[in-house]
Amino acid sequence: MTTNKIDDWALHAYVDNEVSGEQRAEIEELLRANPELAQRVEEWRRQGELLKHAYDGVLAEPLPRSLAATLRSGGSLSARPYLAMAAALALLLLGGFGGWFLAMETEHSHVADFAGRALSAHAIYAAEVRHPVEVRADEKDHLQTWLSKRVGTAFTVPDLTAQGYTLLGGRLLAAGDRPAALLMYEDAKADRITIFLSAAAENTDTALHVEQRGNLTACYWRDGKLAFAVAGEMPREPMMKLAEAVYDAFEG
Amino acid sequence: MDFRTQLGSELPALRRFARALTGDAALADDLVQDCVERALNKSHLYDPARPLRAWLYAVLRNIYISGLRRSGRASVVKTVDELSDGEGAVPPAQEEHLSAGSVAQALDRLASQHREVIVLVALEEMSYRDVAEILGVPLGTVMSRLSRAREHLRRILEDRGHTVLRRVK
Repeated sequence: MTTNKIDDWALHAYVDNEVSGEQRAEIEELLRANPELAQRVEEWRRQGELLKHAYDGVLAEPLPRSLAATLRSGGSLSARPYLAMAAALALLLLGGFGGWFLAMETEHSHVADFAGRALSAHAIYAAEVRHPVEVRADEKDHLQTWLSKRVGTAFTVPDLTAQGYTLLGGRLLAAGDRPAALLMYEDAKADRITIFLSAAAENTDTALHVEQRGNLTACYWRDGKLAFAVAGEMPREPMMKLAEAVYDAFEG
Repeated sequence: MDFRTQLGSELPALRRFARALTGDAALADDLVQDCVERALNKSHLYDPARPLRAWLYAVLRNIYISGLRRSGRASVVKTVDELSDGEGAVPPAQEEHLSAGSVAQALDRLASQHREVIVLVALEEMSYRDVAEILGVPLGTVMSRLSRAREHLRRILEDRGHTVLRRVK
């Protein structure tokens, strides 16, 4: 069976989520009635999956040093006006969020790098059905000892049951040239959050930063020798509440 | 969020796009580097009402294309006519999933106009509207290129015995 150009375009638009509502339902009906078209649509979807399978790994790679340096200091425009603007904006956003002080962050790229890595790690590993973690929660003591040793600072895997999350386990990752730990938790609806932590670049504390990518939100902070990020698919406000609980759990 | 921070959070996706667009990790990283430099210098040209990612992709693609022209490497950009069926043929992979390398080789056999459109739509999941803006062509051109790109990629993958169609039976 051959289809004319308009039909062909409609099928592409359907696969690429460019049509909705009634038109979508019509196309779905057409596909049910026509297995050949349905197979063509499946084939296009499969192409997308193959491409993602081949290239999504790039998302988890650490940024090349030169790139991180360009991001930090590249461009002839001074970063200062941006910093002032960011600080003002952050004050607005953090209003009413007690316990955090707002430090003037001079190295924005560190924040962006770290939060970006946490978001990428979350996007890649939280979607894993069969192998979300390397070491499961039933070996929690081993997990804690192993990851503390690799990260270089002893830490306690936080208990987030009060927040509705149970530990699934964790894995070792890279944060640039440093080892990083990824801890994964799941709630009753099987929604997952991850905690990403590694040795901090400098031994200083910072305020909480929020970074969003698509549906994902990450909250980042530095506390002494460690840098932390909590990531999950939720809006800014609940994520900041959760980050505060995680912060308390690490402190406690 | 300030521009630099926003830019930073787009870098993983920008690197993926560059890798898939060029098929060359070193070239891709050079492009991303130049793109970030240019984006920081030209941030006043960015319209915040539009997605930052789409703007960055357009900047990166322009650098890529003008670089190919300047260095006289235009021959690297394949047109449909130049591609013969045997080019880039590799033995069919045995495993269930195509390896990342063989997907890259399949992509390499597409004409550059087809490659960029399928990468933007199927890998980067950009809207047709954003793709039309990035490529600077009308929406209809995006759709006809996409249609040909998918058909060509299907044939390339089919040559290797990797079709959904065969396996479904």
